[in-house]
Amino acid sequence: MERSDAEREIDRIRDAIDRVDEVIVRLLNQRAKYAIEIGEIKGVLGLPIYAPEREKDVLHHVEKTCEGPLDGQSMRRLFERIIDESRRVEREAATENK
Amino acid sequence: MVIVMEKHTAETNIERVMAELVTRGFDVHRSTGTEQTVLGVVGDVAKIDTREFELFDGVQEVVRISEPYKLSSRTFHREKTIVKVRGVEIGGTDVVIMAGPCTIESEQQVFEIAKRVARSGARVLRGGAYKPRTSPYAFQGMGVEGLKMLRAAADENRMATVSEVMEISQIEGMLPYVDILQVGARNMQNFNLLSALGQIRKPILLKRGMSATIQEWLLASEYIMNGGNYDVILCERGIRTFETYTRNTLDISAIPVIDKLSHLPIIADPSHATGRRDKVMPLARAIVAAGADGVLIEVHHDPDHALCDGPQSLYPDQFARLMDELRIIVPAVGRRL
Repeated sequence: MERSDAEREIDRIRDAIDRVDEVIVRLLNQRAKYAIEIGEIKGVLGLPIYAPEREKDVLHHVEKTCEGPLDGQSMRRLFERIIDESRRVEREAATENK
Repeated sequence: MVIVMEKHTAETNIERVMAELVTRGFDVHRSTGTEQTVLGVVGDVAKIDTREFELFDGVQEVVRISEPYKLSSRTFHREKTIVKVRGVEIGGTDVVIMAGPCTIESEQQVFEIAKRVARSGARVLRGGAYKPRTSPYAFQGMGVEGLKMLRAAADENRMATVSEVMEISQIEGMLPYVDILQVGARNMQNFNLLSALGQIRKPILLKRGMSATIQEWLLASEYIMNGGNYDVILCERGIRTFETYTRNTLDISAIPVIDKLSHLPIIADPSHATGRRDKVMPLARAIVAAGADGVLIEVHHDPDHALCDGPQSLYPDQFARLMDELRIIVPAVGRRL
């Protein structure tokens, strides 16, 4: 492969990554909206924000669904951060709806 | 703040810590490793007493990343604070020399010393009117009468004044005569006094307690700044160590450490640190070389008959010689005298 061809190929793949990122961002926001809805309900009912059993289930679920090339543990680590942020938006929504 | 959990600790232990943090309104960044889990705590963690979490089952260590002090921290205020008083700038390019007797004894004494130190280049006249003496039988100071003499002597030589305040009731009486109120080492953690000094609008010179850590010292300055008085000058004056030859050990390293951690001006007092005249000059040179914004030195025209701390006071001629030496050192560290 010529150097210029290789550079073009990298650019093409990077473009594809950008498209994927856009979808991920959209989906993460969709997920956050659900978390906010749950937070509002928890706020009204005075339920605890931190639900360790549910977090365990979520992690187990994504690990099981993961088909690679990322392994289950990587997926688990990524989702830990997603859950951290969900907990935060849930807490904020709950505080507003107390 | 970071909470490090013990290796292979039970999930329920981690959950208990997380539940407590979330209940208190903190956000948690959980990071599960192959052996060990680490919890990053986000929020106003200054309010947390780390010991509370160290006591939870399964917690190995609680580490503070941000400093508990805020107003005095460089993180919150990048630019160095310059305290301006009667045309003198402390914390700017100039190294400011503050000199004078340990205690005000008479009109003749304070005028004589003021004239001599001003001629040598001192910009601030020091002198105690209320003395925190180790013994209650030692001379306790002249009070407001002494402060009037200090003011008059400083005015005649176009100097600012600095004098120690020992208790809240003295503050108001000092304001007409004193430009910088000094809090002595023994009062560094007198939090009522510090809070009261936060309510006035005059610079405060806060000496380091003789067994205070740098963090405790900066937290003490927070008490003053928290009241809205941001003109705080820190003064290193020696700490207690196992060495008995010198009265205290001057912590020169505190100067660059404070300069990194805090935006407040930092000066040092070599007289109280050593308690011996012959050690004052070399230490004063070192203080300036280490980058201090000023030096606070005791000078007495007749130290052999001084009522207080005579052995650590320089003769005016020695002070003049020291100033000549400092004029060589100061430009070498990019400052002016």
